[in-house]
Amino acid sequence: MEEGPEPNLPTKTLGLNADLQKKHQAMLDRLSNRHQARLDNSLARRSDSGNSSESTSSFLSRFSDSKQSIDSQLADSRLIAQSDPSRLKSHFANLSSSISDLEILVAENSYFLPSYEVRSSLKTISDLKQNLETLNSELIPKKKFSFKNKATTKKEPIKEPEPLKYDTVSLSNFKMPDSPGFRNKTNETLVKKFKGTDIGEFTLSDLDSCEVRLTGCCNAVFMNRLKNCKVYLGPVIGSILIEEVEGCVFVLASHQIRIHLAKKCDFYLRVRSRPIIEDSNVVRFAPYCLDYEGIEMDLQKAGLSEETGNWANVDDFKWLRAVQSPNWCVLPENERVGKVRVEDFESRIEGS
Amino acid sequence: MGLLSIIRKIKRKEKEMRILMVGLDNSGKTTIVLKINGEDTSVISPTLGFNIKTITYQKYTLNIWDVGGQRTIRSYWRNYFEQTDGLVWVVDSSDLRRLDDCKMELDNLLKEERLSGASLLILANKQDIKGALTPAEIAKVLNLEAMDKTRHWKIVGCSAYTGEGLLEGFDWLVQDVASRIYMLD
Ligand SMILES: Nc1nc2c(ncn2[C@@H]2O[C@H](COP(=O)(O)OP(=O)(O)OP(=O)(O)O)[C@@H](O)[C@H]2O)c(=O)[nH]1
Ligand SMILES: [Mg+2]
Repeated sequence: MEEGPEPNLPTKTLGLNADLQKKHQAMLDRLSNRHQARLDNSLARRSDSGNSSESTSSFLSRFSDSKQSIDSQLADSRLIAQSDPSRLKSHFANLSSSISDLEILVAENSYFLPSYEVRSSLKTISDLKQNLETLNSELIPKKKFSFKNKATTKKEPIKEPEPLKYDTVSLSNFKMPDSPGFRNKTNETLVKKFKGTDIGEFTLSDLDSCEVRLTGCCNAVFMNRLKNCKVYLGPVIGSILIEEVEGCVFVLASHQIRIHLAKKCDFYLRVRSRPIIEDSNVVRFAPYCLDYEGIEMDLQKAGLSEETGNWANVDDFKWLRAVQSPNWCVLPENERVGKVRVEDFESRIEGS
Repeated sequence: MGLLSIIRKIKRKEKEMRILMVGLDNSGKTTIVLKINGEDTSVISPTLGFNIKTITYQKYTLNIWDVGGQRTIRSYWRNYFEQTDGLVWVVDSSDLRRLDDCKMELDNLLKEERLSGASLLILANKQDIKGALTPAEIAKVLNLEAMDKTRHWKIVGCSAYTGEGLLEGFDWLVQDVASRIYMLD
């Protein structure tokens, strides 16, 4: 199938009608461009490997060199369009592969780059692509892009009715199974102990002024719409996802923690990876401080026996700059609660 | 003649495929990629930008682009659409509350002309979690049956923890892409 001779190819191709043939040609063009881009990329990668210094500053200088050269080539496009339009297509193809090279450079370095560098590089690349696209559609006569034309004309007529059709079938009519959790409570103390077998996911939602204590390990925890609550959690093996919370205190341990739309909350965390916040403000962080009988074993089971220090390595997805995000800070030591001791069974609160 | 030489070139060299992995944050994309590549999955941070992994799979070289799914950076997904052969949409089958979001983002993605030729693999991930929806249930919620008839798609239940389902999914994807791209043979 793959390695055979290709004697019947020409006839196949010739047998197609004109329209299809055009499409075919466009596809082949794309494929050959892609092939060229790949060659270029692999060349670029090879020359990379000679350079072993992985410092941020050397990345930044390479990045900005490439960016400058792409910028100036982009600026040349109009001149080329006037002087030698036939060159435009390959000019754009080269630009496009230079931008992919830049992208690969970012990807290959992203594991050691500070988060704001990754994001600002992404933004730069996105802008470059946008510029290229704009120039491309502006300077190259439309008929060469039969694919694109078709796309835009196709969009209007069929896109509209779809949402209607979807709405009638979708979530509202689908009966969600009830997942384990605490929901719609006010002023209550909610206690649950996970035992070996019932590891699964657990949900806390629409709680107001409650204290929640979950001991033992579970796989995943979802929290949303909590107000003025205290939440004490034993180690979670997978991830914790928190959305729309205000005025709460969280004591959490997990492999990953994602915090969205949080306001005025304190987080006491132990995390294997970097906690992230998005669309949040006035959130403060401190190390995990929970204690209950058997917590050591649970921590071990979740691979969280050791303090990783990640509680302070918060990435704010809404903050692009090098300076500290104004949305979060480290909770001053004199404002931290001490060790929080939670009794195993349905006992009452003892504060601490 | 020009045509033939291009095709020959493609046939010799093009055993590569470009795979784009997207889905909501927390769905397990990075974990899946590392798992199929046999790497450690015990310390993974939410993806700030994207990762590229080149994996040899059967006789093909897959260039897998794993792009972060946090809301703020979803607008960058479109940077990666061009030249995508296979699209992998990853769903956290235990995150019932955000299935609405998940459906909306997938619907938007499928409107993209630049992705219209890509085969679509939907991975209903985290099947190991008690209470996770089954692939059939996910298919119903996402209303996959209503998809454009020309789209090649498949949904597979999987777990990036146990590895279950991953090979089945990628086998299908690679075969499907191969049969389209290399059908000129
Ligand atoms: N139980 C279980 N947990 C999983 C599985 N796959 C991933 N996880 C966990 O889910 C969380 C999210 O995984 P990631 O791979 O970081 O998710 P992602 O889709 O890359 O997320 P973003 O990079 O933010 O877009 C991690 O804590 C994983 O350990 C699975 O199959 N089962
Ligand atoms: Mg990721």
